[in-house]
Amino acid sequence: MFAGSANGNAVSVRTIEGQATLQARTNHQIGIDSVHDEIVAPNPFAQALLFFRGGANGEEAPIRVIQGPKTKLVYVDNVAVDPVHGEVVAAQTLTDSVLIFSREPGGDVAPIRILHGPKTKLDHPWKASVDPVNNLIAVTNKNRILVFNRTDDGDVAPKWDIEGPTLRAMTPRVLTPVLYPEARKIFVSMRVKQPNNVAIAVWNYGDQGDVAPWAVIKSSPTTRLTTLTNGGMAINPEAKEFMALAGEVYGSERILIFYAPELFR
Amino acid sequence: MNKQLRKIQILFLAPCISLAALLWVAKSNWISIAAAQVSRNAAVPRTPLVFDKAPVRVVEDANPSFNAIAMDSDDSEVLISNNNKASTPSILVYPTEFKTTDRVMEPKRRIGGPTARLGDICGIAVSPQNKEIYTVQGEEPEMKVFPLDGNGDMDAARSLKVAHGSADVYLDSKNDELFITTEHINKITVYKRSARGSDKPVRFIQGPHTQIADPHGLYVDSDSNELFVTNYGSWRETASDEDVESRASDREEAALPLAASTGKFVPPSIGVYSRTAQGDAAPLRVIQGAHTQLNLPLGVARDPVTGQIVVANSGGDSVLFFDAKASGDVAPVRVLKGAATNLKSPTGVLVDTKRNELWVTSWENHTTNVFPRTAQGNMAPVRYIRSAPKDAPPATFGTPGAVAWDPQRKEILVPN
Repeated sequence: MFAGSANGNAVSVRTIEGQATLQARTNHQIGIDSVHDEIVAPNPFAQALLFFRGGANGEEAPIRVIQGPKTKLVYVDNVAVDPVHGEVVAAQTLTDSVLIFSREPGGDVAPIRILHGPKTKLDHPWKASVDPVNNLIAVTNKNRILVFNRTDDGDVAPKWDIEGPTLRAMTPRVLTPVLYPEARKIFVSMRVKQPNNVAIAVWNYGDQGDVAPWAVIKSSPTTRLTTLTNGGMAINPEAKEFMALAGEVYGSERILIFYAPELFR
Repeated sequence: MNKQLRKIQILFLAPCISLAALLWVAKSNWISIAAAQVSRNAAVPRTPLVFDKAPVRVVEDANPSFNAIAMDSDDSEVLISNNNKASTPSILVYPTEFKTTDRVMEPKRRIGGPTARLGDICGIAVSPQNKEIYTVQGEEPEMKVFPLDGNGDMDAARSLKVAHGSADVYLDSKNDELFITTEHINKITVYKRSARGSDKPVRFIQGPHTQIADPHGLYVDSDSNELFVTNYGSWRETASDEDVESRASDREEAALPLAASTGKFVPPSIGVYSRTAQGDAAPLRVIQGAHTQLNLPLGVARDPVTGQIVVANSGGDSVLFFDAKASGDVAPVRVLKGAATNLKSPTGVLVDTKRNELWVTSWENHTTNVFPRTAQGNMAPVRYIRSAPKDAPPATFGTPGAVAWDPQRKEILVPN
């Protein structure tokens, strides 16, 4: 973990590491639960969701683990948190489903809701994001962004479905969604594709179909968002900043933090 | 009469005018609605706001981080992988003998750059006889072979398509075979050393009875015909010859059905197999349990003199030595650990019998440390290589996978 003001070769303020933490070397999205002060991390190789104390440090074991036959978790490398309703959401690319769990009690528990089936249009779902204020779940797929009602369950059609030639022209693959409830915006990182060179795009709530984004963040020598491999991205609306994991070749060389008040209105 | 007619005309006209107005408004709305309907099936015109500004802060560690290690004893060179993406992942070649200095030591040669396109180099092996270097990377489904005297930003001499998630590679020179561990699918795959392109493996070990659980380091003893594999302990049932997770996000096959999970955590371990084991083969023995002190075990080797199994115990900041025939929940016969050792997250080990020395890469503090082969306890290295200044912060970035913001603590979280 780094201080929010970190810059350069910063010293990590704390690190959760070691055998007892049960982490794997592969992890493409973690969740922060500010209400219950917890960090949630996936372990794809043990098919588990790990819940840590928000202030955990060192070789500290998770306080709770969701794992077991009832969970239906398969290669879970991502997790999104709804701290208001006490739920966690995991996109399952191998089963074309989205699993929603109650954060407690943990253990071998079944999902409380499952989005799955042809009406959902889920196709290689990659990651999810939850807006507990407007009650929405956004899910990035191979080449579409699906937004569901937060409490949707089963084989249901998405509330909004952003897809079409405009999106395909921008990227071969959308990566990480981040919902911004206050301004009702959807930030989405993506694999960069020339000549459009869009690294992150922002849509409005309610956008549907083949619709151009409200804003685009360019991949350029100026932004240095040259390549985003896993699309790691987060927003800090209070400071009007967004941050992304990017690099010139591998897409994960560094964290870039941007000040962008124009995107947080 | 005319007045009345006018009144009638006005009265009549008023409704007509109103009706016309209504019709006009309705038509306009229909046009809008129709346009909107059309636009649902065509791109909604919108001129996006374009953001193209420089970042205000950049968090990165540009110091190389030592990871895997191999030695060319013939030419007295040691080859160490640097897997830090911000410092251009590379193969760094150093002399085996040098004067220790606290300054950063420049390698004799360096293979790396956009053409070489080396990433998270998890494993490295060399063949002095064939003058080759073999590398595997965690994120690329490809083993790359470079010339042993390679230097600079060069393309691989050849490559071999392998499963995604490689964790280590070992060359069994006696039998001319390459062994590769694959984390994501709990598999050990064996190829002919000369394999290239889409050549098939000669055999593999994979399946529920193998007890392979998130495998990492491996070592082959071609004299005793044993294969040693370190496991982190994240286990799920893996069918023999399964590869559904190898490229999860880019799979081309149909989706799997929703079914019961099989994942569980088992203690970290060292699995010992017959060198020629194949399929769903059970291990000959397993070193596992609380007494072993295993904590995220990575690189593994064998001391040819004593037969002891040597493990880079990355989570314990130590090197563990087990009896040649160790099995079950047994304590190591020797432990190298302590502040004086300079070990922080050790990742790779090798035993140099020519100089009677033990080499250990220490990822977190940017050092590679050399000890006497029989070192133990809190013993300082006899010499070491630095890839960063002595006061550099600990390494944090290898292959970060995501970024998150904690609004309460005002912290940036990066799983790595």
